[in-house]
This record gives sequence, structure tokens and C-alpha cells, in this order.
Amino acid sequence: MIALLMILVPLIGGLVSFFLKQENKAKLWSFVVSLVSLAAISYSLVTGNEAGRSFSAEWLPQLGASFALKMDGASTLLCLLSALAYPVIFASTWKSTYASPNSFYGLMLLAQAGIVGVFLAADGLLFYFFWELALIPVYFLCSKWGGEKRIAVTFKFFIYTFIGSLLMLVGLLYMYFQTADGSFAMDSLYAVKLSGDQQTWLFWLFFIAFAIKMPVFPFHTWQPDAYEQSPTAVTMVLSALMVKMGLFAVVRWLLPLFPDAAVQFDNVVIGLSVIGMVYASIVAMQQDDLKRLIAYSSIAHIGLMSAALFVNNESGLQGAIIQFFSHGVNVLGMWIVVELIERKFGTRKMSELGGLAQKAPALTILLVIVALANVALPLTNAFIGEFLMFNGLFKFNVWYAAVGGLSIILSAIYTLRMIQKVFYGNENALTANNTDISFIEKAALAVIVVAIFVMGVYPSPVFNLTKDTASFILGIFK
Amino acid sequence: MSDIPISHILFVSTALFFIGMYGLFTRRNMITMLMAIELILNSVNINFVVFNKYLYPDKLDGIFFTIFIVTIAAAEAAVAIAIIINLYRSHKSIDVEDATDMKY
Amino acid sequence: MNLILLSAIWGVVMMFSGLFLNSKSAAKTVALVGAVALLIGNLFDLSGKMIINSDFKGMLHYERFGLLFLTVLILALLIYILLSGKDVEAVGKHSFEYFALIFFVMSGAGLVALFNNLLILFIGIEIVSIPLYILTGSDKRNLKGNEAALKYFLMGSFSTGILLMGIAFLYGAAGSFQVERLAAITSDNFTAFTTVGIVMVMVALAFKVSAAPFHFWTPDVYDGAPTVFTSFMATIVKAAIFIGFLNLFTNAFAGKADTWKLTVAVITALTLFIGNITAVYQQSVKRMLAYSSIAQAGFMLFAVFAVNDLSKQGLLLYAAAYCFATIGIFAVLVKMKDYTFEGFNGLAKRQPLVAFVLTVCFLSLAGIPLTAGFFAKYYVLAAAVKTGTYLWLVIFAVLMAAVSVYYYFRVIQAMYFKDGEAQELEITAPFKALLVVVAAVVVVLGVYPSLLTNMLFFF
Repeated sequence: MIALLMILVPLIGGLVSFFLKQENKAKLWSFVVSLVSLAAISYSLVTGNEAGRSFSAEWLPQLGASFALKMDGASTLLCLLSALAYPVIFASTWKSTYASPNSFYGLMLLAQAGIVGVFLAADGLLFYFFWELALIPVYFLCSKWGGEKRIAVTFKFFIYTFIGSLLMLVGLLYMYFQTADGSFAMDSLYAVKLSGDQQTWLFWLFFIAFAIKMPVFPFHTWQPDAYEQSPTAVTMVLSALMVKMGLFAVVRWLLPLFPDAAVQFDNVVIGLSVIGMVYASIVAMQQDDLKRLIAYSSIAHIGLMSAALFVNNESGLQGAIIQFFSHGVNVLGMWIVVELIERKFGTRKMSELGGLAQKAPALTILLVIVALANVALPLTNAFIGEFLMFNGLFKFNVWYAAVGGLSIILSAIYTLRMIQKVFYGNENALTANNTDISFIEKAALAVIVVAIFVMGVYPSPVFNLTKDTASFILGIFK
Repeated sequence: MSDIPISHILFVSTALFFIGMYGLFTRRNMITMLMAIELILNSVNINFVVFNKYLYPDKLDGIFFTIFIVTIAAAEAAVAIAIIINLYRSHKSIDVEDATDMKY
Repeated sequence: MNLILLSAIWGVVMMFSGLFLNSKSAAKTVALVGAVALLIGNLFDLSGKMIINSDFKGMLHYERFGLLFLTVLILALLIYILLSGKDVEAVGKHSFEYFALIFFVMSGAGLVALFNNLLILFIGIEIVSIPLYILTGSDKRNLKGNEAALKYFLMGSFSTGILLMGIAFLYGAAGSFQVERLAAITSDNFTAFTTVGIVMVMVALAFKVSAAPFHFWTPDVYDGAPTVFTSFMATIVKAAIFIGFLNLFTNAFAGKADTWKLTVAVITALTLFIGNITAVYQQSVKRMLAYSSIAQAGFMLFAVFAVNDLSKQGLLLYAAAYCFATIGIFAVLVKMKDYTFEGFNGLAKRQPLVAFVLTVCFLSLAGIPLTAGFFAKYYVLAAAVKTGTYLWLVIFAVLMAAVSVYYYFRVIQAMYFKDGEAQELEITAPFKALLVVVAAVVVVLGVYPSLLTNMLFFF
């Protein structure tokens, strides 16, 4: 039941939101809806009710497709992440105003329904449905409320992902006709025995779809522009949640469906990922716009995760799954800071900012914590994941770990440079008349910081939660 | 009549067919184009009759078909001439080159 | 049979009521009554109760698929008359005659859908085509319309010639026009006749459904014809020819797949390529829709290409998805004065509901999930994948589907994201309600396509 609720709550909430014409009502309503799904998943985690974790209903029996949902460790973690992220996003952007707010909040919630659907779907066709449906609201959100070049940029993003997902559809159809019982059910698809050649090209059809979404080098070109041009609330959804769709899909679909091809091409994928990490880190160092800096830094982190998914050992895999959550939390924190800065000063250029530390101490402290988590300092959540992933990468091949490690050093450089430029240095005309952030914004950031520390100090619940997914994948490879 | 081999007659009909096609593509006078189309249809008629007569002489399927073709060709010609008259009224010409209000 | 008879009779009724009814605006009402009568007649057809219960010595074939397909077409006609009936009346003086011609076309569509004999196919296609030449040129003072009518006539009768030549060769090989006899041609003596015949028939039908490389008349004709009739030609007529195409290739030529499979594959690929790529460069939405109809024909050709059980369901669903969405779009387009993409700027602000329905329709044409268009594409592509060969064609098709998103979304972008003085549209409350119904049908079929496809098996 909880699985179904996670989709239904934002779906219905979002549809209702379209009819709330007043801004405050729409805002409050969507905040409450997002809290409801957070409450629902928290309750289910606390009570540990296993029965509600999967759900199945008849949908299109002639096609062998059913409305089947399944919550394993990784998807529970990602559902928790999205349930946690949404209230934080709404709270931190509370002060922002949007034209036609009812549509904005409605689309935001619909996007959540689509994203959670991707995390839960246990049926190939349903998965494809949600995969596309998550995209449509985001397309409208970015094109309607984004920056100057929003239409072209969002369209590029849309076309990119659409091409990828259509290729996946062809692969999925081919798989469907190979199943013994003509069914899209996850287990039937898992059971298909494919020859080496079939695995090869099907692997690439699926992988390109997921790689575009993550994005892995060289499919990343849509990402910095899209992040920059979207309204920040949507950027948060994109980078904290939507990129996880690609990573999660690798865990749930790509690796179990094509294990042989995954082993065969592990060097290609890991190589691309590592190139992406270093490349994105170098580019990030040259950015002046805060949003672009974080966008590139995000590519670097995603690269590490996608590499770790293919190393085929326990520490790499588990590290990557844990990092899904940690990266989501951290990048959310970074975007909140950017949003606050942009709203206060009307600029995101580091060169125009400076000296915020004296005027806004609370903001500074919170940002520094988030930034250090982004660099994966020990005691923060990202440390555990990154440590495990590098460990896995090291076991796979020392050189990949060595080159990838370079990006950690680079990330420390650009993160610290960002802190220095924005918060220290001299005040200027823009930053002189500044006050600290308000209570609700503090609260939103505080949630992030608490999550960072709790996971950094006491990660074992997350380990326990995701153990089943990791061991399942490893079981396939043995 | 059955002294003439079937290939001869098929040759005639094929020749007519291609003459019709040639006319349709090269002539610019609408009435001539209409005639070219009639030529194509008549070559088909010959084919039907020949196949009927030489290959399946015990039934009359092919010959009946030609009657339908003739009827429908008449209907088509009626519509075509109406269109041509209408064009002539506006362009004062029945040359297709003059009817180029639309770009490809 | 009910449908064919009723629509022919109603065409005559329409013409006479034009004589006796003085009010010009009564045409829509009379046509509406006729369309409802057709629907009822067709439902009786489906349950086997016919006015004249004869298959004319096997020349007609009352197959469930064909009858159901006609139901879809009649529903589309009903929506068309309800949405655009007033605009048909506005084309010229002879509003009753326009509707009469439309009913004659429906009669031809009935023949094409139920034929079991090439003679019937030929007559059906001609009954569909000849009224269309007239409708295209019905706006007599419009030079573009006249020119389009001429082009349509020349190309149409040329393709008729080719169709007849193909039929003649097939007759030479089989000695009969019956579909079963065509399917039974085995004699090696007639290989050349059969091959030439099949190819010529295929080319002629490709002409009629505007598949590349025989599509060149389509943009001009669709652009030049009065917009209401473009809507009719691009949807109902095109779908009607397609069912003839599919039925012929399923029932008569399925056994000789190796002679035509590759050719159809190439035609499909070309159609998708030319339709989609050219549509990208259009500045007028009407012309873009003309090219998009070529592109959509490319997807429908997949059903013909695959000839298996999925292709029937696929074509049925595709016809429904494509007809409803396109008729909805055209119904709004007719009411606009500016057909360029810029003409849609800011429409969402002024007419949020209309913009929303148009968005659903365009999403359906693009094949986004949750709309009927997705499952339509899904079925035809699945049919092709099921054959197990020519997978490159499927991959090419999905890439082209991604291209199609470009031009469909241009309209959505114009409506929602660009500011501009939207045009005044005269839109009444019933019109809006009907548009909502269209959108609802598109979405419902997008979630439960089996509501329609199941009817092929149960009733």
C-alpha cells in the first residue's frame, strides 16, 4: 500500500493544486501534500511493514503489462529522498513568487509522482510510462518559469532524453517478445536468456537512455544549460531526483537484464565516467556562475557513481547506492544556498559577490557544512559513499581510482574557492545592505545539515536498507 | 483473331500506357493531360480484355471490369473538366504552368 | 452493408434537402442526423443485422476488423461534423452539397474497408477520390484551391491508372478478382505478372495514402484545399485507404511477403524521413500538419509492413488516435486567421482550455505516453518488432518520432511560453465541451487502449 500511496499522494495532490487559484493556497497545499508523503514513508519505515512494499493491479492483460510496483532497498531509499526533498524545496523557495502558481505547484507534484513511479515500477511498460511522464511536467516547468534562453535549452534537454527513451522502448519491445510468457513483468524480463550479440546491442539501447538522463560524458551537454536556465526549485528536482532515475534504472534494469554485456563493456562505461569526472571538475573550476559550477560538480559526482555501479564488487555497488541519497541531500543544500543568494542579490556571479560572512552568519555556517559534505569530508554523509566507491574502483583497477581521485582534489579546490569568493573577501555595494536568512529558510537548510551529519555518523540503517539490492545484483554476476 | 499472339497485344497496351505517362508528364495543356490519362485507362482496358479473352475465356470478369473503368473514367472526366473550366475562368488559360500559386 | 447503403442514400437526401430547405444552416443538422444514422446502421452491421444481408457472391467480406474500423471512422465523422460543421457551411454557397459529397466518401470508405474483390476496392477508392477532387476545389474563388484541385485530380487519376494496371496483371495471374484467388496464386508461370501487379498496386496505394516518394501532391493539396476539408482528407479518408491497404496485403499478399517486404520497408523509411524532416522547416501550421500527416502515414505503414495480429489492433488504434487528435487540431485551426506558428503565440493565456486540449492532441501525435498516440505507435512498432527482422527500420522510426516532437512542440511552445496578442477566436461553450470530450477520449485510450482493441475479439 505504501508503494501505491507514494505515487497517488503527489498525483492527486498535484491535480487538485491546478484548481487552487490563490498563490498562498496552492503553496500551502503542495507543502502539506509533500509532507504527507514524507509522513507516509517515514511511518512505513518505522513500522517496517514488508507487506505493503509491493503492489500489483491488472492493467493491460493482453499486452502482458500490469500496474506492478516493488520497493526494494534502493527504491525505498530514493523514495525517502524524494519525499524528503520536496518539503525542503517548497520551504526554501517559499519566498519566491511564480506566475500562475497553481500550475507551477501542480506540475511540481506531478513530476514527483512520475519520478517516484520510475523508482517503484516493476513492469517494463509501466517503467517506460513513468520514465516519460516524469519528463513532461519538468519540460513545462523549465520552459515556462525558466531563464532567458529557457525554451531552446529545455527543448534540447527534452529531445535528448526523448531520443534515449525511445531507443529504450525498442529494446524493451524486443525483450518483451523474447519472454517466455509474453509479459513485461520484471521477473519475466529478468528470466530471458539472451545470446551475447543480443545482449550487446540491447545493452547499448538501454544504456544510452540512462546515460543521457544521468548524464554520463559525452551525453552531458544538455545538463549545465538546463540547470542554469531552470527556476531553482526545478533545478533541485532535476539534480537531486531526476538524475537518480538514470542511476537507479541501471541498478534495477540494466545490470540484471544484461549482466554479460555489463561485464564486457565495464571498461568502456567506467572509462567514460572517469573521463567525465575529471573533465567536469576542470570545467567547474573555471565557472563564475554558481549554478553552472554546481552543475559541473554534479556531473563529476554522477560520474563516480556510474563508474562504481559497474565495478562488480560489493563495496562499489553499495557505496553508489548510498551515495544516491547523500548526493541528493548535498546537492539540494547547495541549490538552496544558490537560490537564497540569487533571490537576495539578483545575481549568481561569484565575481559580483563577496563578504557575506559578516552579514549572514547563519547562511555562511550552513553553506560551509554543505560544501564540505560536497567535498566528502569525513563525518559527513558523502564520505561514506565516496570512500566505498573509491574502494570498489581501486579493487577493479588502480588506475581508474587514481585518475578519479584527481577529481576529489579538484572538487576541494573549486568548492573552497567558491566559499572564499562568496562569503569572504570584501563587501561591495551589492552585498553591503544584507540581512540574514529567514526562519523557514534556516529550517530548510537545517534539515539538510541534520541529514548530512546523521548519515555521516550513523550510516548503518542505510546500509541495512540497501543491502538486499546490492547482494541481489552481485548474485546475478556470480 | 486468336492468330495474333498475346504478346503483340500486350505490347500495344504497354506502349499506350507509356505514351499516356509521357504525355502526362510532358504536356502542359490541361486538356491534353486529361487525354493522356484517358490513354492510360484505355491501355488498361485492353489488358483486361486480352487477359480475359486469351487466358480465361470461360468467364467474363475482365470485360465487366472494363465497363466499370469506362464508367468511372467518364465521371472523372466530368469532374476534371469542371475543375479546368473553373481554372480557366480565373487564369484565362489552360496551361498548367500558369497555375503556380503554390510553392513546393 | 447498412453503412454503405445508408451513406449513399443520405448523400442523395442531403442534396435534395438542399433543394427543399431554404435555411443554409440546416445542413449541419441534417448531416448530423445522417451521421448518427450511419453509426446506428454500423452497430447493426457489427451485430450481423443488415438491411440487405448479402455478400454479393463473396465480393464483400464482413470482417469484424473492417466493421469496427468503420465505427471508428464514423465516430470521427461525428466529431468532425459537430466541431467543424459550421465551418463546412461557411466554405461556399452549396453547404448541403459539401455534406452530400462527404457522405459519398463515407460510402466509398465502407467499400474499401469491406472489399473482398479487387473490383470493389477499385470502385471504393474511386468513390472516395472523386468527391475529394470537388471538395478540394470547392472554394471556387480561391486560386490556390483550384490549383490544388487540379493537382489532386492529375495525381489521383494517374495513380488510379497504375492501380488498374496492377489489377490487370494480377487478374492475368489469378484469373479472378477475388482476394482468396489472389492469395492462392502458386503457379510459377505468373511470377512476373504477380510481382509487377503487386508492386503497381502498392505504388498506387502509396500514392493514395501519400507515402514517399509519392507524396509530393500532399502538401500542396492539403494546403490549398479549404481547411475544413483538409481536416477531412487528412484523417478519415487517409485512414480509410489504409484499411484497404492493410486488408489487401494481409488477405491476398501475405504469402508472398518476400516480393514486397523490402519495398514497403524502404517506402516506410522514406516516408518517415521526408515527412518529418520537411515538416521541421514549415512556417505554416497547416502545411506542417500536411507533412505531419505524411509522417504519420509512415507509422501506419508499419502495420502494412508487419501483417500480423498486432498490426490490425495497431492500425485500429492508430486511426482512432490520429483522427481524433488531428480533427481536434484542425477544428481550432479553422477558426484562426493566422496559420503561422506565431499565430498561436499567447493562446494559453486567452483560451487556456483550448490550449490544453490542443496540447493533449499534439502530445498524442508525438506519441507521448498517457495519450492514445503512444499506444498507437507502440502497437505498430511492436508488430514490426514481432516479425523479428528489419529492426533497423524500427530504430530509424523512433529517431524520426523524436524529430516529430520538434515541430509538434513548436506549437505548444508558442501557446504557452511565448507572449503575443492571441487572435480572437469565436468559440462557443458546446465547442469547448466537445474539445474536452476529444481530449478525454485521447487520454482514456492512452491509459486503456484495450477498450478499443478488445472489441476486435468481444462485443
